[in-house]
Amino acid sequence: MEKDNLIRVENVSKSFRKVQALSDFNLAVNSGSIFSLLGPNGAGKTTLMKILLGLVGSDTGSVTIFDLPVSSPLSRRGVRYLPENVTFPSWATPAILFRQLERIRHESSVEEFQFRCKELECLNLMKRPLGKMSRGQRQRVALSLITSGKPDLVLLDEPSSGLDPGGRILVRNLILSLASEGATVLINSHLLGEVERVCDTATFISRGRLIAEGKLDSLSRQTGLAYIETDNAEKMILSLEERGYSCRKESKGVVAELKDSTEFRSMTHSVLDTGIQFSGINQMRESLEDVFLRIMDKDSERGQDIVS
Amino acid sequence: MFLNSVEQLLRRKIVLTACIATVAFLGLYWWGISAASSAELNMGNGQADQAVAMLGPADAALAAIITAGPLAATLVTALIIVIGSSMLPEEIGQGRMPFWLSLPQTRLKVYLSIGLAPLAVSYALALILFGGILVITKIYFPFIPRNIPLALFSMFAWLTVVWAAVMMLSLVIKKIASMLIVFFLTAVASLFGGLYELMKMFPGDAPEALESVTKTIMYIFPADRGYRGVIYGLIPGDALVTENLAFFGVSASVPSAHLIYAFLWSIVLLSIGYWKFRRMDF
Repeated sequence: MEKDNLIRVENVSKSFRKVQALSDFNLAVNSGSIFSLLGPNGAGKTTLMKILLGLVGSDTGSVTIFDLPVSSPLSRRGVRYLPENVTFPSWATPAILFRQLERIRHESSVEEFQFRCKELECLNLMKRPLGKMSRGQRQRVALSLITSGKPDLVLLDEPSSGLDPGGRILVRNLILSLASEGATVLINSHLLGEVERVCDTATFISRGRLIAEGKLDSLSRQTGLAYIETDNAEKMILSLEERGYSCRKESKGVVAELKDSTEFRSMTHSVLDTGIQFSGINQMRESLEDVFLRIMDKDSERGQDIVS
Repeated sequence: MFLNSVEQLLRRKIVLTACIATVAFLGLYWWGISAASSAELNMGNGQADQAVAMLGPADAALAAIITAGPLAATLVTALIIVIGSSMLPEEIGQGRMPFWLSLPQTRLKVYLSIGLAPLAVSYALALILFGGILVITKIYFPFIPRNIPLALFSMFAWLTVVWAAVMMLSLVIKKIASMLIVFFLTAVASLFGGLYELMKMFPGDAPEALESVTKTIMYIFPADRGYRGVIYGLIPGDALVTENLAFFGVSASVPSAHLIYAFLWSIVLLSIGYWKFRRMDF
């Protein structure tokens, strides 16, 4: 199966009565990427995800998955989706749910399901009714169910919802594991920290429009700061300030301001010259949260300009 | 998908309650019929006693079936209305519908698979109820039913109309409202269905307006024709009082055209429901 341009969205618009959810939206997702949809509440992320699955029909434009229109059920072969607020019957055990699911999709074996359950540490819950599980346990079971086997495309709507930090790590590892198995993963999440750790590509949506997209590395800018990891932070600050750098202590190291982007090399030499032991030095880049706020601020300014 | 829905339905308390009620109903019916079969009927009046003496087991069976039939029908109708109105709205409300629709299957398949489960469960329950009534009655008052295939076909027509109406309405209006409307329609159709039988016995005697209303209701909600077909198919063919059947709301027969119309009408209702379901955003 041809897997480049796995998802293709062309000139898609969708409105719900007077609310324009998506406006002339274009998107192409290549296979093998871990892709995130980012944007404020009501930006149109979930609508886009639902359009990709044929759950919501678009007013205009075309959407294809594996070159098949999403109106065709065949486009959903090998595609898995976890909605944000799904409530499975409380009497059902994971084993029953898996059997019910496989009656329809015929895409994975019991062994593959058990493998996923093991990965998400819920293998011991196989015979427990969902009504007797915590929210986090139910979420891990749901993730095991939808990702068992060898999916081509996995769409996750807030996958870490209701999970404790341990659970979030498991989900993160699951997403990386799916990608290593060749699946394309599309994530819609507000937990930018989680997204930053697993995703390689991001699309920013605001008011139904695509406002930025690209690899996370290319989207985040240099901050003009360098971080030096050292146990002798005070001594390092004094030495660097003597050399004309403005510094401050931060967690387990020192943050130093660079006058321009070319100065990092000379600062590295200065740090070496101090003779103080340090375990690492790197130029600081914007976090995904910074990127998000910058892009959204720029978009709201643009919106205000249009209004004025 | 259909099996999943049946599996889910069978776990619901309302279905369990209906099963218990069915067993209790048949138990009580058995007890009543066995007691009646051994009782000596004495009216305390010479002429009446003579008349009673002329009646055979088939007449007793007729009376028993005509008494138990409406009670059984009420139970099955209530069940199909309650479960038929909740299946699709519940899947939507619980957020499972996007999940089912994201699997490689068509919307039509999802609509019918989820929707057919209440019909299948109700039909099974109706078979047990009416089958039980037939068997118990035959044990104590041996008789030959008029037309078993007609009873089975009519039962399906009756339940299909109620199911299609409630399922369609549950997608258009709130669940409770759809239940109440179909309960009301069933009651009205049953009342006018009885009147229709009487009118057939005395043609031309009824006011024209009443005849028109009766026929209109029969066309709008043809479930009652199916129910009367069930009773007609089950009652004995050799009872002495058959000339008075219309007073019991059972005609000499239910034309197959009425039953076919009921099926066609169900298809129309189902199509309207599907048209709405296909256009829904999840």
